[in-house]
Amino acid sequence: MTRTGATVVMEALARHGVDVMFGYPGGVVLPLYDEMLNWPQVKHVLVRHEQCAAHMADGYARATGKVGVCLGTSGPGATNLVTGIATAMMDSVPMVVLTGQVNTWAIGTDAFQETDIQGITIPITKHNYLVTDVDDLPRVMAEAFYLANTGRKGPVLVDIPKDVFQGKTDVDFPEATQRRGYLLPGPALQEMIDEAAELLNSAERPVVIAGAGVVWSETHKALAELAEKADVPIINSLLGLGSFDRDDPRSLGMMGMHGEAAGTIATQHADLVIGIGMRFDDRLTGKMSGFAPNARKIHFDIDPTEFGKAIPAYCRVLGDLADSLPRFVQAVKPAKHPEWWAEIRRWRESYPLIVPDDGRFLARHVVDSLNRVTKGNAVVSTDVGQHQMWAAQFYKFHQPFNWLSSGGLGTMGYGFPAAMGAQFARPDAEVWCVVGDGGFQMTLQELIVAAEHKLPVKIALINNGFLGMIRQWQEMFYDNRYSHAHMANPDYSKLAEAYGVGFIRVTKQEDMDEAVRQAEAIDGPVLVECVVQMEENVYPMVAAGAANDDLIMDPAVAPREKVKA
Amino acid sequence: MRRQHVVTALLENQVGTLNRLTSVFRRKGVSLESLSVGDCEQSGYSRMTLVVSGDDSDLNVVMGQLLKLLDVVDIQDLKVDSSVRRELALVRVGASPQQRGEIIEVVHVMGGRVAHLAKDDLTVEFTDEPRKIEHFLSLMEPYGLREVVRTGTAAMRVD
Ligand SMILES: Cc1ncc(C[n+]2csc(CCOP(=O)(O)OP(=O)(O)O)c2C)c(N)n1
Ligand SMILES: [Mg+2]
Repeated sequence: MTRTGATVVMEALARHGVDVMFGYPGGVVLPLYDEMLNWPQVKHVLVRHEQCAAHMADGYARATGKVGVCLGTSGPGATNLVTGIATAMMDSVPMVVLTGQVNTWAIGTDAFQETDIQGITIPITKHNYLVTDVDDLPRVMAEAFYLANTGRKGPVLVDIPKDVFQGKTDVDFPEATQRRGYLLPGPALQEMIDEAAELLNSAERPVVIAGAGVVWSETHKALAELAEKADVPIINSLLGLGSFDRDDPRSLGMMGMHGEAAGTIATQHADLVIGIGMRFDDRLTGKMSGFAPNARKIHFDIDPTEFGKAIPAYCRVLGDLADSLPRFVQAVKPAKHPEWWAEIRRWRESYPLIVPDDGRFLARHVVDSLNRVTKGNAVVSTDVGQHQMWAAQFYKFHQPFNWLSSGGLGTMGYGFPAAMGAQFARPDAEVWCVVGDGGFQMTLQELIVAAEHKLPVKIALINNGFLGMIRQWQEMFYDNRYSHAHMANPDYSKLAEAYGVGFIRVTKQEDMDEAVRQAEAIDGPVLVECVVQMEENVYPMVAAGAANDDLIMDPAVAPREKVKA
Repeated sequence: MRRQHVVTALLENQVGTLNRLTSVFRRKGVSLESLSVGDCEQSGYSRMTLVVSGDDSDLNVVMGQLLKLLDVVDIQDLKVDSSVRRELALVRVGASPQQRGEIIEVVHVMGGRVAHLAKDDLTVEFTDEPRKIEHFLSLMEPYGLREVVRTGTAAMRVD
């Protein structure tokens, strides 16, 4: 059937079950905005800055496992998307990014609002396209969704010139998408699975580090079976939180620069480390040469380029976890590791994460209240900074797809729009955004969008008057010389009023639970400003570049400054 | 170990493929010594030969990332003893009428061809293995190398 390029795009979105997209118009995408009016099944959310369209699409994807879609016009619209695209790329989030481009005949002439967004985004997309012929559009749109959501997921950008939106084509969508240069790994090799199982069967001090791959492949049940059958501790990477129930006694929480001490120490003492759907990121391993020095490593991943990139794995299991993990669980022999667990228990007891009860009001109390009141069942997004680490430490997730945080890129400004994206995707879910006063000021203009849509998203704003993470580093590594870490805040009650969102201010620990309940009771967006102790540090900590043996403990927990793991 | 690698890749012809490829090398800080690309036996595809020097493990990472590019169908690191490598050099050397005969004799002995003759120089076309090209250039050096253009290595696997 003959239809315009703009129709092809909307048809593709509808075919792929996109119920919400996030965007901002401009000259060259007007044909698409016009066509949109004919497609009520694809709701469009008008953001107030394109960066947030990308973060909302990202939040939508992380909260559902579906492909998130965002849209910007050519030139500044496209460049404003860049931070959000890079964020999604670093965390392998499936996204289709649509950008308008100047007319094909004007490309390369420095036309008004022309920018080479394809060139700009080569390193930050899984793949990208500039469509110069409307007949290619059905194939490209199908490919974009396919690429974004298969294998190692990631953002795919499609740049569409105005005349391609307006042009007509009768080319159909392809039945199936195939590109010779795109190979997905087949089933994992049985000999690798057997070898991995053999290694685990003979290990005395094994640990599993589970990453976001478990979330995306929805293999959390297999992971839980593995934990039980092999009696192995499960540690999570930052992005892997939610892939294993934090209330399970075998959960050791998050590992990394601010991971829980027991998990980090256990890994340093382990004789076998099994990385599952994670990439041994430098923030997790600490100094690479000092990471788990006595352990053989097994690495399960869908992306072969991850093998050997950070650490040399002894045994590599290439494949989709949906295939390999259940087979691994089956191949593993039931085991018990009472001595290993006794040691781990000692570390846990010696170096717990603590919520002080000394009259001060801390970010930790905020997260702890949230966790208790919502029973660990809310969708929680964070921004980047101290509050992010406290949220990762103290919010006890039970299910996957409830945790949204920019891990790889560490993008300030991510948290609030990501929470909104999640709330648009799951209107009935309780969604909380834990955000710093620094990062909130990067994207808070989206409050008006939350108000406009009566989005019930709740914001726990951690007002510490500082770029807290920066301040902590300056305190610890720059001799207390605070350089531009302090920061003025607006009057948030007036801000909330101006934007028409609910507002609660909390200044005392004992009021926090009630504030969470009050916010829950309000049908619409609520800004909960938590005015906390200004100078407070995240512990434990492994300094950048140090080995994981050099854990700096909370002075309130361990009197010595450093504990050799 | 740091050494020279000759890599051959089968590419889908798309606008910007080269851009994507070289972007991977740039990010890894690996510089390309030569690159040659042209049509091949499959329509819609090209074969490219890349010569790079670098650490084996760095190169492994680069090869993996190249293979991940959609436009790259296949990529192989060729072994010296199971590949044929050739390069074409165009060499303009100074040649007074008195020197001409002598130069042309050397060119013929080496298996080159005179592509163009001018008043005081001549242009030689020379095809061989890269290291023979180096040797040939050293023979021409005394006459004055006015301009040298090399295509970069083209290589093919043979078993
Ligand atoms: C866009 C961006 N700019 C700079 C940084 C560096 N950075 C990391 S944490 C941080 C401070 C965050 O402060 P705030 O949002 O108040 O959170 P807090 O650490 O106080 O909880 C900064 C500046 C970043 N991650 N992202
Ligand atoms: Mg702050």
